[in-house]
Amino acid sequence: MNIQLNQLIPIPLKEKILQGSSDIWNNNVVISKGDYLKIVAPSGTGKTTLTHILWKLRTDYTGEVQYDGCNINGINAQVMASFRQQKLSVIFQDLRLFGHLTAIENIELSRIKSATPGVGAHEVLEMAETLGVSHILNQKANTCSYGEQQRVAIIRSLVQPFEILVMDEPFSHLDENNTLKAAGLIEKVCKQNNAGFVLMDLDEDSYFEYTHSLKL
Amino acid sequence: MKQLLSKIIQSGIGKSRKLAAMLGLGLAVLFILMAVQIHADFYELLYGKKSKTDSADFLVINKTISNRTTDKTASFFTEADIADVKAQPFVLKLGTLSAANFESSVSSFSNALPFRSDLFFESVPDEFLDVKPSDWHWKEGQLDLPIIIPSFFLDLYNSGMALSMENMPQLSAETVMNIPLRITIGGNGKVEDWAGHVVAQSDRINSILVPESFMKFANEKYGYEKKTAPARIVIKVKDPSDPKLTEYLEHKGWKTNTEKTRFSHIRKIVNGVVAVTGGIGLVLLLFGLLVFSLFLQLTITSCKNDIALLQTLGISPKQLKGFLIKQFLPSQILLLISGLIIVSVLQVILKQILTGYDMHINSFVSVNTIIAATLIGVVLWFVNKSTINKYIES
Repeated sequence: MNIQLNQLIPIPLKEKILQGSSDIWNNNVVISKGDYLKIVAPSGTGKTTLTHILWKLRTDYTGEVQYDGCNINGINAQVMASFRQQKLSVIFQDLRLFGHLTAIENIELSRIKSATPGVGAHEVLEMAETLGVSHILNQKANTCSYGEQQRVAIIRSLVQPFEILVMDEPFSHLDENNTLKAAGLIEKVCKQNNAGFVLMDLDEDSYFEYTHSLKL
Repeated sequence: MKQLLSKIIQSGIGKSRKLAAMLGLGLAVLFILMAVQIHADFYELLYGKKSKTDSADFLVINKTISNRTTDKTASFFTEADIADVKAQPFVLKLGTLSAANFESSVSSFSNALPFRSDLFFESVPDEFLDVKPSDWHWKEGQLDLPIIIPSFFLDLYNSGMALSMENMPQLSAETVMNIPLRITIGGNGKVEDWAGHVVAQSDRINSILVPESFMKFANEKYGYEKKTAPARIVIKVKDPSDPKLTEYLEHKGWKTNTEKTRFSHIRKIVNGVVAVTGGIGLVLLLFGLLVFSLFLQLTITSCKNDIALLQTLGISPKQLKGFLIKQFLPSQILLLISGLIIVSVLQVILKQILTGYDMHINSFVSVNTIIAATLIGVVLWFVNKSTINKYIES
């Protein structure tokens, strides 16, 4: 699949965008299945806004976002759900876990939401082991630390089938060691799925071999 | 998946709220099913085979004789009257009672039981008779005349006449049928004796009857007028307690066996009670549905954020709707089945009570009650589906 952005400008940021320059806003960008795309965005430039627009959580923009050539505003909820189950996955900056579900339940919900789970149940345990969260799997999400929740959110995004993974500051609460482990896991699963990703973060980094890097 | 969704959604359902909504809906369902069942039982009592007596469908009608009635012909039914009665929707069949145009008397052939009395005869088409004795026929040349008397005649004689007179014995029905009777018929310048005997007693028609063929023959032979209109008619009706029938008779100023039509007043009351119960049930059902719909809306609203997050994470509207329907509908269907079971138990109890009063109803709930329950089920499904659709789409 691919995601195409055509002359995208979020209305609340319009004036600021038109005054400055961006590789994304008010430009034409195509994100394809195999891309490892890094978007570097200082604070306030609209990382979360872009994530929400890509995910069709907000529509207050001019321009167009297309999934496989279709304007996402014309895609109904049922079809959008099938994109979110089969082709797209996400790690939100604010994580969006169900606080009253356990960590493993949050992950399972994502794994089994489609008829064809991305990974088997044992692989979930391996991922948890890799990221060092095995001990909190049966703990309610809202009782875990933010760092633990972030790792649970990363695992949740990897257990479903996907072709493009959208990440909004996915390592913001992880130390260097855990970040490297998480990046390694993400790369491994992307390779298994022949998938790509869009990673939005504040600074440049070398966690992945990015195919290209853009400035927001 | 179902378990996880259930864990997410259940947190938004208040148990006391759910209990109150279920209670309201349950009462409404129970009321409406009871109303339908009462209605069915009432009709079973009215029209059921076990409850119906053979003579209940036949009514003999005559015009009211008042002090102002001076002319005998005023009591006759004209052809227009008869046509009007026939046209009524509650009349299945109509026959006329033909009166005799001659004088007659009855006396004994034997001195052992001396009696003599003036008499009159009427005849009615055989299909309106409640008794059909094998010797109930007459053809010209036959000297023996079969007669049917009303049952109460013999009761009157045995309990009144025989007890008050010293030399009159009480008679059994068999004895009466074995007594040869001298029937003297006179008119048109002729007086002749006939040998008659009682062949049966009728509970339905209060008259002394001879076969139609004899009446026709005798009226022609002895009658002072060749043709007269009937003074009484007999009708077969589907339901003698039909209020329309009593209203019609009252309107015309005609009389019939009030015992048979008296039930119409009771029926009006029962109809009223059933209608009021049904009405209350219907109003309750509407309120119940409203309460349940509000409960659903409240539950969905209280889970609004969780539902939104589920959709954000890719749970499809179809999955959510299917889950929510399965979350709410089964408990309502269970409620409906419970209502049906309660009505069934009440029906069995009611049957036992009514059997003590010689009233018979079915042991099982009526088909209409089951249809009503099914319809309520469909309405519940529709309310659930439309409420959930509305909220999930939005």
